[in-house]
Amino acid sequence: MQVTLKSFANIKDVIGQSTKCIELAPGAKLSDLFTYLNREYGEKFNRQVTDQISGKLVPFLILINEKTFRSTTDMETLLNEGDTVTIMIPFDGG
Amino acid sequence: MDGNNFIYKGYIGKMLRINLTNGSWSDVPLTNELAEKYIGGAGMAARILYDELKPGIDPLSPDNKVIFLTGPVEGTMIPTSCRIGCYAKSPLTNSFFHSSAGGHFGPELKFAGYDGIIFEGRSKKPVYLFIDNGLVELRDAAHLWGLDSNTTQHRMFEELGSDEIQIASIGPAGEKLVRFACIICGSRALGRGGLGAVLGSKNVKAVAVRGHHSVDVPDIRKIKMFLEDLYARFSANPSTAEILPRYGTPVLVNANNTLGLFGYHNWQDEYNPESERLSGETMRKKIVKRDKSCYACPARCGKFSIVESVSVEGCCVEGPEYEDIFSLGSMCGHSDIEIVAAAERLCDDIGLDAIEAGVAIAFAMECYQRKLLTDKQTDGMQLDFGRSDLIIPMIKKIGMREGYLGDVLAEGVKRASEKIGKGSGQFAMQNKGLTYPGHSARGMPGFALGYATGPRGASHHDGRPTGERTGLVQRDTIEGKGEYTARINHLNILTDSMIVCHLPEAIWGPLDITDTLVRCINTTTGMDLNLENARLTAERIWNLIRAFGVREGYRREHDTLAPRFMEEPIKTGPSKDMVISREMLDYMLDQYYEFRGWDKKTGIPTREKLQELGLTDIADDLDAYR
Ligand code: SF4
Repeated sequence: MQVTLKSFANIKDVIGQSTKCIELAPGAKLSDLFTYLNREYGEKFNRQVTDQISGKLVPFLILINEKTFRSTTDMETLLNEGDTVTIMIPFDGG
Repeated sequence: MDGNNFIYKGYIGKMLRINLTNGSWSDVPLTNELAEKYIGGAGMAARILYDELKPGIDPLSPDNKVIFLTGPVEGTMIPTSCRIGCYAKSPLTNSFFHSSAGGHFGPELKFAGYDGIIFEGRSKKPVYLFIDNGLVELRDAAHLWGLDSNTTQHRMFEELGSDEIQIASIGPAGEKLVRFACIICGSRALGRGGLGAVLGSKNVKAVAVRGHHSVDVPDIRKIKMFLEDLYARFSANPSTAEILPRYGTPVLVNANNTLGLFGYHNWQDEYNPESERLSGETMRKKIVKRDKSCYACPARCGKFSIVESVSVEGCCVEGPEYEDIFSLGSMCGHSDIEIVAAAERLCDDIGLDAIEAGVAIAFAMECYQRKLLTDKQTDGMQLDFGRSDLIIPMIKKIGMREGYLGDVLAEGVKRASEKIGKGSGQFAMQNKGLTYPGHSARGMPGFALGYATGPRGASHHDGRPTGERTGLVQRDTIEGKGEYTARINHLNILTDSMIVCHLPEAIWGPLDITDTLVRCINTTTGMDLNLENARLTAERIWNLIRAFGVREGYRREHDTLAPRFMEEPIKTGPSKDMVISREMLDYMLDQYYEFRGWDKKTGIPTREKLQELGLTDIADDLDAYR
């Protein structure tokens, strides 16, 4: 199944483009998408979303189409063919 | 005074009190009680000003006082121990105000031999203060009066024979008592609340500091071990290690706009279709030349930019920050990042808070859109949204109080809307006199409550948007937001008293005071705080500041939002239809007062609560206002 990944700022810098089509196994969850990104882009991607001491994802929002999900609680959410997933930058401050 | 018995490290142990009316000064020793109960920075200044200012005084009269103050961590190697705080009764909000800036001024003030400075009275002539390694001099500043803040600093470097001096200066806006005049420290701003106007009202042009004192800590080995751990955490966290260093705060342009939470056209909407052109990414590509850091900060979020376009050639600026892009760009409906950068530099030079300036221009644009301003009142300018060419002329008019509109807007959006009338209060985007910065109220209920209850008005550093924006807590609910907001208040006021920068809040909190902050205080001062009494200290300071507001007339009915945020849902984008109705706000206010132990009807802290916090004298004072 195919999903479209949208990103910006540091995550876009790692992926190299703001919109990218990604092939995942049917029944894939959000966590599978992140496993794919970690495998594909390695430490460079991991450093943008994961605390390097605890090894855990830091809090950020993820949009599936226009609906909001949370990295802290919603990683088991199922993805569907044709979904657009936008990873919000994990940014505190401002 | 028990100054001779002052036992804590981290502090220098004394402040400098300057009587501008008679040109005298004296040292004021810090007391153990002041340090223990209020830590430093905002907490200590709030106590001093509560005790020394009579309620009801005019903020621009000699009766007001201005305090510059550091906290115990400044000048150590605690990350972000770079801050200088400035405190006074604000001419915008008529209550206690605190603003802090990064850079290098704070540590240098301590190296010069003082924790802080209290200015009182009014000088007959323009003066500047020079503290040179403990030696104090009040110097004539007639030749600097009228100069912009950047030229002022350069003239002073020449005059003092060195540029290894830290200077805080006002620009012409402070001299002309623009109610949102700021103070520029190097290239950073003590931005909000009009504290530059208070300094200007006292005829103080600048403060210069230089010195070689050291800041002692109780146990160097202990603090080193703690710092190793702390710096490792800064290096491990995506926000402080990757995002702040690369894009700084402007990364929020795309982030907030993607969520539909980016003020546009004076908050008529929160989705800007052209945000990409204003984004941190565009800025980095087009104008950023290098990264810059404050003293002792590994996050180095500052961006040094040069504008090369024809219209504003040769303009260099530290910034623009997210807030400048919001106010001087998106709010005014244009998307030219170079104009934003030049406008931000101009605000710094003239000495204006760039948030207030941009929001004031956006307010004038909406007045023009609704035909509430005549051509005569705008000096013939067609103030349409999107007119990027008018941003710079408008800043000059406001900063110099030129023409009807410049003079009216120089009073701040609240007073301007009262003067213009004709229903313009509906879209005057302010609370308690302070304009909203670039973080949505309608899309983040807990944060909206922070705006409503903020003792500084619409400040984004009383409540914080972070918990709801990052999904640490659920965004689309009002349940539990009373306690959520109160705990964030306490985190903010403790960090503002230490003083550390809020941007690495992932490390400090971000939802409550953590053991990390307690260890910062203990390892620098030798205090023996634990989490429980650190939280109590923060709550004490918060209640003290609330009491200051109560004396000035603030009550529950002032804990509100701009009518637009309560009556007009977001029109387009991913947060479409979100709004904070009066009922929602009331529900959250009840939760908030209940958690705080404040009277739900009036919003005044109860006697029991104040006594529990060791503020019996203030409970006695407030009896007259109940
Ligand atoms: S995070 Fe940015 S503003 Fe804060 S201290 Fe560091 S460089 Fe300065």
